[in-house]
Amino acid sequence: MVVAERKPIEEILDMIKEFDKVLLTGCKGCVTVCNAGGEKEVGILASALKIARKKEGREIEIDEITLERQCDPEYIDQLEDPISKNNYDAVLSMACSVGPQYIAKRFDTVLVYPMLNTSFIGGSLEHGVWAEFCQACGSCAIHNFGGLCPIARCAKSLMNGPCGGSSGGKCEISPETDCVWHLIYERMSRLGQLDKLGNVVMFKDWTTSRDGGPRKIVREDLKQ
Amino acid sequence: MAAKSGNSKVGSVMVVGAGIAGIQASLDLAESGFYVHLVDASPSIGGLMPQLDKTFPTNDCSMCIVSPKLVDAGRHLNINIISNTEVDFVEGEVGNFTAHLVNHPRFIDPVKCTGCGVCKQHCPVTAVNEFNEGLDRRAATYIKYPQAVPLAYAIDRETCIGCGLCEKLCLAKAVVYAEEERRSTLEVGAIILAPGNEVFDPTAFDTYSYAHHPNVVTSLEFERILSASGPYQGHLMRPYDREEPKSVAWLQCVGSRDINHCDNGYCSAVCCMYAIKEAVIAKEHSHEPLDTAIFFMDMRTYGKDFEKYYERAREEHGVRFIRSRVHTVDPVEEGRLKIIYTDEEGKSLEEEFDMVVLSSGFQPSKRTVELAERLGIELNEHNFAETSSFEPVKTSREGIFVCGAFRDPKDIPISVMEASAAAAAAAAPLVESRFTLTKTKELPAERLVAGEEPRVGVFVCNCGINIGGYADVPAVRDYARNLPNVVHVEDNLFTCSQDTQEKIREVIKEKDINRVVVASCSPRTHEPMFQETIREAGLNKYLFEMANIRDQDTWVHQNDPQGATQKAKDLVRSAVAKAALLDPLEQTVLGLNKVALVVGGGVAGMVAALSLADQGFPVHLVEKTGELGGNALKLRKTWKGEDIGSYVKDLVARVQSHEHITLHTNTQVVANTGFVGNFDTILEKVDDPEQKTTVQHGVSIVATGGKESRPTEYLYGEDDRVLTALELDSRLKEDGNGFKNVNRAVFIQCVGSREPERPYCSKICCTHSIESALQLKELNPDMNVYILYRDIRTYGFREELYKKARAKGIIFIRYSLERKPQVSNGSGSLQVQVYDPILGRDLVIPADALVLASAVLPNEAKEVVRALKVNQNAEGFFLEAHMKLRPVDFGSDGLFLCGLAHYPKSIDEAIAQAQAAAARAATVLAKDVITLGAVKAVVEPDKCAVCLTCVRTCPFGVPYIGEDGYAVIDPAGCHGCGACVAECPGKAISLQHFTDKQLIAKTEALLLKEIGEAAAGK
Repeated sequence: MVVAERKPIEEILDMIKEFDKVLLTGCKGCVTVCNAGGEKEVGILASALKIARKKEGREIEIDEITLERQCDPEYIDQLEDPISKNNYDAVLSMACSVGPQYIAKRFDTVLVYPMLNTSFIGGSLEHGVWAEFCQACGSCAIHNFGGLCPIARCAKSLMNGPCGGSSGGKCEISPETDCVWHLIYERMSRLGQLDKLGNVVMFKDWTTSRDGGPRKIVREDLKQ
Repeated sequence: MAAKSGNSKVGSVMVVGAGIAGIQASLDLAESGFYVHLVDASPSIGGLMPQLDKTFPTNDCSMCIVSPKLVDAGRHLNINIISNTEVDFVEGEVGNFTAHLVNHPRFIDPVKCTGCGVCKQHCPVTAVNEFNEGLDRRAATYIKYPQAVPLAYAIDRETCIGCGLCEKLCLAKAVVYAEEERRSTLEVGAIILAPGNEVFDPTAFDTYSYAHHPNVVTSLEFERILSASGPYQGHLMRPYDREEPKSVAWLQCVGSRDINHCDNGYCSAVCCMYAIKEAVIAKEHSHEPLDTAIFFMDMRTYGKDFEKYYERAREEHGVRFIRSRVHTVDPVEEGRLKIIYTDEEGKSLEEEFDMVVLSSGFQPSKRTVELAERLGIELNEHNFAETSSFEPVKTSREGIFVCGAFRDPKDIPISVMEASAAAAAAAAPLVESRFTLTKTKELPAERLVAGEEPRVGVFVCNCGINIGGYADVPAVRDYARNLPNVVHVEDNLFTCSQDTQEKIREVIKEKDINRVVVASCSPRTHEPMFQETIREAGLNKYLFEMANIRDQDTWVHQNDPQGATQKAKDLVRSAVAKAALLDPLEQTVLGLNKVALVVGGGVAGMVAALSLADQGFPVHLVEKTGELGGNALKLRKTWKGEDIGSYVKDLVARVQSHEHITLHTNTQVVANTGFVGNFDTILEKVDDPEQKTTVQHGVSIVATGGKESRPTEYLYGEDDRVLTALELDSRLKEDGNGFKNVNRAVFIQCVGSREPERPYCSKICCTHSIESALQLKELNPDMNVYILYRDIRTYGFREELYKKARAKGIIFIRYSLERKPQVSNGSGSLQVQVYDPILGRDLVIPADALVLASAVLPNEAKEVVRALKVNQNAEGFFLEAHMKLRPVDFGSDGLFLCGLAHYPKSIDEAIAQAQAAAARAATVLAKDVITLGAVKAVVEPDKCAVCLTCVRTCPFGVPYIGEDGYAVIDPAGCHGCGACVAECPGKAISLQHFTDKQLIAKTEALLLKEIGEAAAGK
């Protein structure tokens, strides 16, 4: 899933300092699952902002709505009713950055602000802890690396690791960060595939990644 | 309903002594269909536990954990608490006893007394407060402590001057000054004795200066000093000058393990742990760094998690442990005390302390001994109840059972276990009379209030003068009249009194009230009672809300009547706001399978199975191997000398032939679904996974047992002369004569226990080795027998065995973890080298046999852990629901545990624990239906993001993602704690009776200041 985290409250307060009435929108997709932008977080952020503004002596009105997803235009349409009926100064989105862009596209004259920093594609390690597992390079090859991704999980995205910064299974950037090449070595040795590591992996074709510009997928069979 | 014709047995039990053991036995019996008379000489129940500050090894507040039990017992429809009463004598036999009681007067009618305390406030007498161990004073009209049950005062006529003031002031008219001693009788089917022990009084010990120096206190006095409700409000002070001590010493074995002064040769079993706990807690209470030193002979931290507690005290808290027997405590200047002691090397040393705590042991009181004599119960040489290891809760008189400290000195969890065991044993002969004397409440049909506008009735209590004396109750009442939805208000002298209850029921009907608010004391003690009252008037019990205007208002704002009145108004407004939003909730009622599943066919499993089967419940007993008996098959004798072999043989025969037991040998549990009352478990043949059976049952008991570890040191496995304790047992069993030619035998203790990688004491090995050593001595009296130990942990009466061993010439040599014995067999014979701390040199002992007391391990039982979703601790022992008060329950309802799977224990403790598990299981199985509380987490499927947050945060492992693609929370498993509700990122889960809407309305109303705003219904 897309993993995100809420921006610092100070940054958000600064963003909205001119506004008196806003619509705060959550998303029931990835950001609910990663506890960043579901209905609960929407409620908490709205309360926090109202309290902060009340303390400043300038109260703010905040309406809350949580959409099924903010990455499908049909769901964004559900904002039509509240936006047209209320004179919001801005719409705040607690989705990943797709959400505010969809809202901006749908409501051309409305100011839209992101409340989250979209961090990475990853998964949960336990309740409250998430980690990055994928960099969306567009040509997956993890089967060559014992099922682990050196692109996303090696600080240098090395294809022929490890580097000299691997020590005791940890990466030199932080003692908290596993050296994925250490893990790759261990798993491949358990799989009896160490011989495969003897091959030099040639440089990666990055055209499927961001280097080829913004990407788009078209499924002709599905497209009408 | 009592059909008392001819030979039928009486379906009630008398429990004598209402400490924690008596209370637990009563609750278990009352919950499994027997009417209980709980008799205690004291004006209130609870025994010793309410006097304790914290409890080891969890440091739970003792009062906080016992108080709910007191309330449960006090409120139970089928427990009749008979306070201020002693048993004179008992006639008859099992099934039909007549107990003759002496009811001492308390001079205050407990039914009328509301516990308001006005009598106490005006009583002119000051008397010694026994509850605080004489460290402060109380009035002659008194209650032991505020949480006491029954919550009723008593008059101490020994000190009362008869002024009559209390009688004049008592608004409830509860004082009965002319009350006299009465005699009464009870008809009961069985009797449980749980009189507990008294703390040894060290007054007679001149050498400890206890009698004439205020800064020498007993451990129980020190508990009161530490307690927040004690004489010094929890401030660590020494009695002499109320100064905070900078150093405190504990002297162990005062009144225990001593035959020179007091003749209590046994070990009191709990003092090592409570001393460590007191030292740790005292350090926490102290403002300055506090020096604590414990003077001891052997550190006996043998229970579950005790050794780790000891280690932490020493390593993290810096408690000093000094191995020595103190012989003199001398007062020196400024209230300080000089301790003169002899260390292990024989050097005499001195040290000064600000305060000395005597770790007093326990003994049966004179009154208990006299009671036992009147009842014709055999006592042992120490005046404790005589019992056998195989029937640990059975006294010498048929139908009279015993539990708790009167059987032998013991800690709280083992007392609680034994109490449940006694309940099972007492129930067995009375099975035919189950539910013949118990009472049930007949309730009118519930009125439907859905769709009605809220009509709130508000009852404001004066609580005598507890509330009315500080807050302006009429003003609060009048204020409530103008709150939204309120249709009736009144104030009462005591809203909880019988007559007010009747009035509430009437007014509910008369005014069509559909929500009730009581503003009074505390939901902790009174909410269930008021809920019952409105239910009797036809209202769903969840249509009730309470405002706590006493404990949280007038009691804490006595100096600010205006503020207290305002706060009472705020709290009432808040409660009314929530009340308007209350929904009637339906309590699910489910049928149940009155069948038990017992996993494990060792002694514990078999005893649990038989105990339930004897009560008429069908049992499936699952054993992984082909043979019943487990470890007991390898054992020879109990430490008391009873033959285990013949016991186990009988047990196996009884299990195999029992009509209610279905035996599944060579079988294991592979899967389990369902919840308490309705489980489905799949069993599989170990050697043929295709052969599966599904059993349906209401409860499960886990008794998967343990095993002896295989040592990895001291040449074990390399030299045939090196044996484990069980290997020695089996050789002795086969043919002991082989040992007649052994001239030197050495035992090494703690092999694999109390080591960093296995930081627990295996508990049974000290006793086991000594017993085996004595057996060797018997075979060959000239044999030199050595026991190399770290601490000898012969707790309780096992100390006698230790004494006997020394008298027989067995040589005990202490070693430390840092300097373990060395074993070699270079020159053909075994050589054991050990440093003797008394001689101060290494000894080399040639040995013909070396016996290793290897650690007791839990069996792995992976499949059970997986299938039943039960938890283990770091060492692999199963984790009970609460270390102290729920020692045989798992956290999930309907699951129980016993035996070595819980922790290493002797056979008598395993048997008691198995009976306890059966008693707890019977509280479920005896009933025809299971009524679930309605305060449960409920999932709104549309909002669920299947994010797993609830699955991961539930402490009981209840939520799961169902086949329909959303989280499912089984109401039968849900404890209503609300953890998932708070965490759910999609707000898909709500807690009934505590919904966001209700709580926000309650909070918003609380924060409103003007009636106008409230009335506007914001």
